Amino acid sequence: MDELKMNEKEQIETCQSSRRAVLGYLGSAIAGSVAMIATGAMLPKAAHAAEAAPPVPALPGYDWSKHRWAFGVDATKCIGCLRCVEACKAENEVAGDAHHFRTWVERYVTLEGEEHARIDSQADPVNIAASGSEKEYRFANRYAGEKVEKAFFVPKLCNQCTHPACVQVCPVGATFKTADGIVVIDHTYCIGCEYCVQACPYGARFFNEEQGVSDKCTWCYHRITKGLQPACVEVCPVGARVFGDRNDKQSPISQFLANNRVQVLKPESGNAPNVFYVGIDKEVI
Amino acid sequence: MPKHAVRLVLLLVIFGALAVAARYFLVDKSYYKYGYYRGDAVMEIAQDKPRYQGTAYCESCHSDKVSEWSKSVHNNPDAGKVVKCEVCHGPAGSRDPQQHYMHAATGRVHPDDLKMAIPTDTQALCKLCHEQTAGRPSQQRQIVVKDHAGALQCTLCHNPHSPGTFVGSLAAPEHRGDAEAGKGKIATCLDCHGANGISAGLPGPTLAGQNQTYLIATLTEYKTGKRNDPMMAPIAAAMSDADIKDIAAYFSSLKCKSAANTAEQTAAAHEAGASVCVNCHGANGSSADRGWPNLVGQSKDYIVGTLKAYAGGQRPNTAMNALAKGMNDADVEKLAAYYAGYSCK
Amino acid sequence: MDHLFAVAPFTGYVYPNETIFGWSIMIVIYPYLSGLVAASFTVSSLYQVFGIKRLRPVAHFALLTSLCLMLFVPVSLMLHLGHPERALNSMFTPHWSSAMAMFGYLAGMYILLLVLEIWFIFRPYIVQRAQSGKSLMARLYNLASLGSHDLSEAAISHDRKWIFALAVTGIPAAHGFHGYTGFIFGSLKSREWWSSDLMPVIFLFSSIISGVALITVLYVLSCKLRKVAVDTDCLKGLGYTLWGFVMFTLILEGVEFGSVVYKAKEGIDIIMEYVTTRLVVPFFLLQFAVGAVTPTIILSYVFWKRATGKVLVAAITVSAALALLNVLMMRFNVIIGGQEISKTGHGLLQFPWVFLGRHGVLAGISVLAAPFVLLSILVRLLPPWVDGKNCNKAIA
Repeated sequence: MDELKMNEKEQIETCQSSRRAVLGYLGSAIAGSVAMIATGAMLPKAAHAAEAAPPVPALPGYDWSKHRWAFGVDATKCIGCLRCVEACKAENEVAGDAHHFRTWVERYVTLEGEEHARIDSQADPVNIAASGSEKEYRFANRYAGEKVEKAFFVPKLCNQCTHPACVQVCPVGATFKTADGIVVIDHTYCIGCEYCVQACPYGARFFNEEQGVSDKCTWCYHRITKGLQPACVEVCPVGARVFGDRNDKQSPISQFLANNRVQVLKPESGNAPNVFYVGIDKEVI
Repeated sequence: MPKHAVRLVLLLVIFGALAVAARYFLVDKSYYKYGYYRGDAVMEIAQDKPRYQGTAYCESCHSDKVSEWSKSVHNNPDAGKVVKCEVCHGPAGSRDPQQHYMHAATGRVHPDDLKMAIPTDTQALCKLCHEQTAGRPSQQRQIVVKDHAGALQCTLCHNPHSPGTFVGSLAAPEHRGDAEAGKGKIATCLDCHGANGISAGLPGPTLAGQNQTYLIATLTEYKTGKRNDPMMAPIAAAMSDADIKDIAAYFSSLKCKSAANTAEQTAAAHEAGASVCVNCHGANGSSADRGWPNLVGQSKDYIVGTLKAYAGGQRPNTAMNALAKGMNDADVEKLAAYYAGYSCK
Repeated sequence: MDHLFAVAPFTGYVYPNETIFGWSIMIVIYPYLSGLVAASFTVSSLYQVFGIKRLRPVAHFALLTSLCLMLFVPVSLMLHLGHPERALNSMFTPHWSSAMAMFGYLAGMYILLLVLEIWFIFRPYIVQRAQSGKSLMARLYNLASLGSHDLSEAAISHDRKWIFALAVTGIPAAHGFHGYTGFIFGSLKSREWWSSDLMPVIFLFSSIISGVALITVLYVLSCKLRKVAVDTDCLKGLGYTLWGFVMFTLILEGVEFGSVVYKAKEGIDIIMEYVTTRLVVPFFLLQFAVGAVTPTIILSYVFWKRATGKVLVAAITVSAALALLNVLMMRFNVIIGGQEISKTGHGLLQFPWVFLGRHGVLAGISVLAAPFVLLSILVRLLPPWVDGKNCNKAIA
């Protein structure tokens, strides 16, 4: 991707966000006064935020203003072993079943004579049957007898969008974007309305019924703030997942972006994803 | 304003004041600190304890395994392929399950109070990456495991930490006997194994051209009693280790070669139901590894007898016992007839 | 874990996380109830603000209905939430970019507005009961009167100003409240079935249908229960309103669906597959044919033939009941239908019906029925009738 263009884009984004902030304060002022009449709730302390208290949370050895995380996926390398999916479930204590995933892998198989790819993921009943357990994942060799024209795997995870639709719709500010670019959820504040689950165009969010809160991939925020890689990147045996800091020109992700022509998923959503893909086809959704 | 309206407005004001007070006391103080969210949440989320610890963590105790692994095809960063310890063994740490979603900074760690998983079903494990599957890129090494090894575990032959090397030849060190010296020690052998070690109908198997490592292993097994045979046991018992090496060197130096292992032969082997056998014994009876015997030059009767002994367990060998048990008489006949077709030339 | 969620079977490809429906029965009921609230308030405002005298028999009753329904709108949402005890977070720290952050304030404001308007309208009655003796009920009425029994000419005319102001404020508030509900769905770009600029408008108009229809049915029912003759003039007024809005909404929904089909953007294949298979009964048959076209034909016929008496009452009541079904099905087809079409555009899910539990059908029916139980109590405490033998002379 063109660096210059990226910089321009970011400048525009910054302008937008400040404009958004102003609009937000304006909105809160209006709504707040309405609220005064209605229930007498106070104005949010918008002025407080503008004063900008300590800009960096107290994390040992980590300054979030110095990092700009990004993620790359090279679909031409993925072998569909699903170690990433199992590692993610273990690392993040995600429910071990076929309906809750912070990351997953899709398979696109075009058979000879067919116009559209057949798509499945590890959560497909056929693949769950092949693994024998909803806690373990395995792609069944379901196309073994078929004439396959084209086939590839695509790992999916949260795109940590620049303009996240999920953050936009959260009514209480339980989900938010950190300064280093990760969208996380405050599980102690989430009311469990699932609006964010509906709003995500990528199906990256899910609801934890046991805890009554939404959940999602955080690029292992607890790992990357300690200098580690996300669990899925750590276990990927073929380097299909690339992670790093775009502020560091030597980082794997900066190299990945410099050396490849990348694309993002559903760019028309306006969410501006930060997971960049290499080697995906027009059918990938 | 009438009295009731005044009272109403007063009531509303009190209600409003209560709401403001409630908000003041109930909103977290770190809210709005960095934006429209509870600022302390950032720290809480970041405090979560990582479970995957990385290869360096394992190396502190398992340096032998790590060094074996680090030189293997499972650690090839140049090709972008690195299968780290925790990929197969699982994470070396855990989080306190009670703290689920409550930002746990505690949990168990291997080796103190967390046992690591040693995969038992290695075929299931290895197939995750190496079973030939639509969608796997061509640069990934993949095979049809059923044809390659039947139901056998991969670790029977492959060292999982360094799968490019085989357990068989690793187990057998390099032996060098003196073939010339051996020539003088074989007088008793020839009665059963034939002149020049070619059996041609005699009770013993053909020994000419047999793998040296295999011969040493076999004679040693007879000598130590691990393998029992009324004829061979006393003979081997009388041999010294040097004798065994020399005799093995002599027989392996004799010529018994079949033609090159061609594609046609492989196809024929598959036809004969020997698709599993060829992985170790070759399509033409020439073994792929020095640790395993060649089959070339053996009679049909000998091969049938051997397979029966494996199936019955009289001759112990993990791989062959399992394989032979899975064969019926017709399979055995067909296989034996196929390999008996390759005689010494 | 199976008891915690129901898994939706699917065809084609859907994202793994989509196999559990995030929004179920309670989120169908929420816009249905809030639509009924908005429209029954409108019926009362037509009388209070616009002076449509023929609606006088139902004006106060509609207001009480509106309040009873409104009290259960938050209940449906609370039942939906994973952490209902944190619901106030949305009022303490509202995140203004969220369409849902507004809900607490709008709902709170609206309940307050309804309570105030009802209080001013029923104040003469409350005072009357407060002065009726020393019984417990009298004491409670006295508390409700805030201890002021002033029914002088000046006080009453002062009250009228409040009533007018509240009724006027209530019209945009009611419609803002419900149009906003449509916005909650229409503003989500993740779902083709919801993402439409027409969504707030459609929600608004369909809500007016449902509210008018509900007041019609309840009014006729109350007349039967009270053994009072139905005011056919009033009923006709309701019938005309219903007739107009059903036709208008039918056209609006038709145009909206037509434009989705005509534009045929990405994902149209799956939408067409969906509407021509799974949606035939709930959408085309129940929502359109039975719920909208049939009442339009019935109402057109009786108005054309200038029917009177029992025929007219029966025709309008049946049409109103069908219109109530129409709007309920519309809510269902939007909220559940939107989730049955996968975000991938390559798969369809099947809503898993659950009968028991917090999100189940039984809970849904209870929440739908509860307002009417409350209403049956409230009309005894604050009788809204201005005719017949139960006539409340204090407010008539």
